[in-house]
Amino acid sequence: MSLNKNMRVVIVDDYTTMLRILRNLLRQLELENVEEANDGDTAFHLMQKNPLDLIISDWNMAPVTGLDLLRKVRADARLRRIPFIMVTAESKTENVIAAKQAGVSNYIVKPFNADTLRAKIASVCGVAA
Amino acid sequence: MEPNPANTSRLLDAHGFLDRVIAQLRVLQSPQKDTLVSVLQYLSDHIRTTRSEIGALRQGGDQPLFATTADELEEIVTETARAANNIMDAAEAIEGVAATLEPEANSALMAAVTKIYEASAFQDITGQRITKVVRVLQSLETKLDSLTEAFGSTPELAGAGPHGDEALLNGPQLMKNASSQSDIDALFETMS
Repeated sequence: MSLNKNMRVVIVDDYTTMLRILRNLLRQLELENVEEANDGDTAFHLMQKNPLDLIISDWNMAPVTGLDLLRKVRADARLRRIPFIMVTAESKTENVIAAKQAGVSNYIVKPFNADTLRAKIASVCGVAA
Repeated sequence: MEPNPANTSRLLDAHGFLDRVIAQLRVLQSPQKDTLVSVLQYLSDHIRTTRSEIGALRQGGDQPLFATTADELEEIVTETARAANNIMDAAEAIEGVAATLEPEANSALMAAVTKIYEASAFQDITGQRITKVVRVLQSLETKLDSLTEAFGSTPELAGAGPHGDEALLNGPQLMKNASSQSDIDALFETMS
């Protein structure tokens, strides 16, 4: 089984460069249905609009952090089951624990490579990498 | 952190008090006075020197040192973002061309393009690190403001900072202050 090429992905990062990198890497995985947001509030608003398959978010953003966004998603009846991958430079053990406790589906530490991104997406979507 | 007015007053008072005590001791005939005067003089000089050094830290020539350094660091973030985006423009163009090539060439180029995308993440990482440094600088600046306040103003340092040729060594200018090539050309014209 392979990735559903039509899956709708929301990517969130306050660095537009990182959004562009993610979008390009996702395109190489043939995932073109990608929407992006520069902050947590905009992202949460985007998530309300259409059925969603995957969220990829940075942690270190203001005023709504990636962890805040994750908690909002997990508290929302419609979104709570959507896979959520944290992509962040925050690599301390306590960060990973906090994200896990908040319900993150997987965790990628920046800088990352395309193989890692592909493997984590496959993992949270329940398909072979 | 706001300077504590009580501390400010105490430091300024202490400095003045030391100078008054030294002046009173000098006129005494006591045999122990010289040792006491030299100790107090040392303390007084030390407070004066510390005050000057703190004042010098606060001022880097015509610009507040910390604010200017923070601006320089933020400019690095802007410049690296611009460079990363230019690199990705080029990578996307290569990706477009690669799609028209034979599978083997396409595959090799796509692998290289992927590496470029991965490497472009340096901008995000360096940006976050620099932002942390800027926060530390801002915190130091606040603490120095408190110390400067406590030691009183240092008007004698208004002209501190590099002079002469040294004052011309400023490195790259911040975008908001920088002259464009056409500004330089126009200036050159007016001088010729």
